[in-house]
Amino acid sequence: MDSDRRGQWLRGVLDLCVLAALRDGESYGYQLAQALDVAGVGPIQGGTLYPVLLRLQRTGLVTAQWREGTSGPARKYYRLTEHGRATLRQDGSAWLAFVAPVNTIVTKGVDG
Amino acid sequence: MNADEWLRTLAAELHQRRVAADAARHVVVEAATHLREDGRDPWLVLGPPGEYAAAISESIGPAPRPRPGPVRLHAQGITKRYGRHTVLRDASLTVRAGQIAAVVGANGCGKSTFLRICAGLVSLDTGQVTVTGRLGYCPQQGGTADFLLPDEHFVLVGAGRGVARGPARRAGRTAARQLGWEAGGDVLTRHLSGGTRQKLNLTMSTLSEPDVLLLDEPYQGFDHGTYVNFWDQLARLRDQGKAIVVVTHLLNQLDRVDLVLDLTAATRGERA
Repeated sequence: MDSDRRGQWLRGVLDLCVLAALRDGESYGYQLAQALDVAGVGPIQGGTLYPVLLRLQRTGLVTAQWREGTSGPARKYYRLTEHGRATLRQDGSAWLAFVAPVNTIVTKGVDG
Repeated sequence: MNADEWLRTLAAELHQRRVAADAARHVVVEAATHLREDGRDPWLVLGPPGEYAAAISESIGPAPRPRPGPVRLHAQGITKRYGRHTVLRDASLTVRAGQIAAVVGANGCGKSTFLRICAGLVSLDTGQVTVTGRLGYCPQQGGTADFLLPDEHFVLVGAGRGVARGPARRAGRTAARQLGWEAGGDVLTRHLSGGTRQKLNLTMSTLSEPDVLLLDEPYQGFDHGTYVNFWDQLARLRDQGKAIVVVTHLLNQLDRVDLVLDLTAATRGERA
């Protein structure tokens, strides 16, 4: 797999993945990176995750709070705002509407 | 480069990119936490610190510039003649705290004269200059003493303000470092290069913690790296709320200033 191309795809959709990963509750950077990796999105290269989190925070889609863990260092926990939840629904639907025909076309090309 | 070095470099890069100190601290702590949990090489996990800082600063934007403060320098209708030769005609400039003004114009259009009038070193024929606060002036050349060490210059400036020798020396060396210069050597000033003497000049002009800083092309003889440091240093001083006037014939830095006074127009056709 061409990793450049994969990186480009990810850049376009990582913010949506992060919003979706926060849907069921708050999380922190390392945990989000692990979750995305386990989900198969792949390791997030080059520290692209934190810039995305900062942008989401700046635009009010997530809030952040520093908290001491029971053991270990203070972590910055991110949580979806109402605005973030609405954006996830709206932009998530738009993404699905976009990939569905792409999948149809590419599937035909690959299987054909 | 281990994690600590990587984080230190990141902090410096964020500072360089003028990310607000508060936000930068959070970014560094968050990266530190991440690296500790991950355990792998920071270059692998987060990439080169410079690129990471660039991505961060793009995400959160530079620190909001404080709004310009009160007027610090008000020069109104300055006219200066030498005999029948009018050097300046009706030149005006108002600079507020937290602003950089560039004075530009062709050679001989009176840039240095204008600055020296603002500094009170040259009399004017008509017009008025009002300075609010303490004034610092950095001449184009001269202003340093050949047979003193840089340290002794700092002590001298400190003595004028009632600062003891040790603190004055430390303040001088710290200010010099902002220009990428280690000033603590035992080389007499007359053996320093022209560029280094100008760094000394510039350092001294900031040591008195002026509210208004007048700089007359102080970067002559600077190499490129120092020249970049010079403009970064000006940006820092501006952000501290200083009013800065810098004479320059180099127009490629004008996007870094708030005001431009072009003296070419003020004297055009006035040659006797």
